[in-house]
Amino acid sequence: MTPDRAEILRVVERLIVEVAGDELLVTGPITLETSFNGDLELESIEFVALAEKLQQHYGASVDFVGWISNKELDQIIALTVGELVEFIASCRS
Amino acid sequence: MPLVAAGGRTVHVQELGEGPAVVMIHGLLIGSLASWYFTAAPQLARGHRVRMYDLRGHGRSERAAGGFDTATLAGDLAAVAGDLREPFDLVGHSWGGLVALRFAREHPARVRRLAIVEAPLPPSSALEMASFLAGDGLPARLLDALPAPLREAVAGGRRQAERLVKSIERLVLESSLLDDVRREPDPGDAELARVTAPTLLAYGDRSACAPAGARLARVLPHARHLVLPGGHYLHLDARARLAEAIEAHLG
Repeated sequence: MTPDRAEILRVVERLIVEVAGDELLVTGPITLETSFNGDLELESIEFVALAEKLQQHYGASVDFVGWISNKELDQIIALTVGELVEFIASCRS
Repeated sequence: MPLVAAGGRTVHVQELGEGPAVVMIHGLLIGSLASWYFTAAPQLARGHRVRMYDLRGHGRSERAAGGFDTATLAGDLAAVAGDLREPFDLVGHSWGGLVALRFAREHPARVRRLAIVEAPLPPSSALEMASFLAGDGLPARLLDALPAPLREAVAGGRRQAERLVKSIERLVLESSLLDDVRREPDPGDAELARVTAPTLLAYGDRSACAPAGARLARVLPHARHLVLPGGHYLHLDARARLAEAIEAHLG
């Protein structure tokens, strides 16, 4: 993992914990392979809160909602932290 | 602007995009503003200021012991939309569609266009959508009743299923929601005919609500009736096509 992506991963993990609580981490740290639905089991309303926090942290240059809206529902359900990190990295490069 | 005070209550509100205002209303029990946030809202947000909110007792809005009748919820909507100066568009799914129809009758000058998705008529027929509530064994039957994409997502694990069941049990056991739905009177055709705003009626071809769409199409003066492949949770079953149809209707 590049230093850039490692830093994004740390930010994403912090925002997820702010949204859903640190009991999500009892099974281990969040990695690039962690999926939002299957592993973390975020509720959809928590996913909204995560979108809001990403917006606040990264500003309009990271259009998380626009990115999500171009995906099919089964892609959203299968979404991993790594895909989000990669997307954020691509917005900033 | 996540948590705002509206009508003396704390309401969770989210906005996407800029432009003419659209307010989107979700359905009861398993709905929240996320119902729209990850479905039709992003597409509408390319040309509109899209405002979504959690109904009382739902999502992150303040819990409520009662007031799930459309009169009270239309009052909540008036508070949530209180700052909008220009006429705005309303989009409502299921019970949220009934709230939109009621608001449009009570405030005709404030509503520009309407998109009604799967609103049940008579209103009490909404309980058929919640048939999973009858008897024991709520979690298992609830999962059966969910739209397929959601069912697969929730059935896989424990945290989501537990939270969903808990939120529904809170509404069913600790509020008057079911009684409010049961007691909601049918507005009647003459009253419905007072909705003057151009209205898109979107219903699923496999939905128990389909007759309501046909009735509204007959009664509303300016309605377009669209039947899409899907069931009651049309925003999931026909996500892209519904978003396109709403966007085309609102212009």
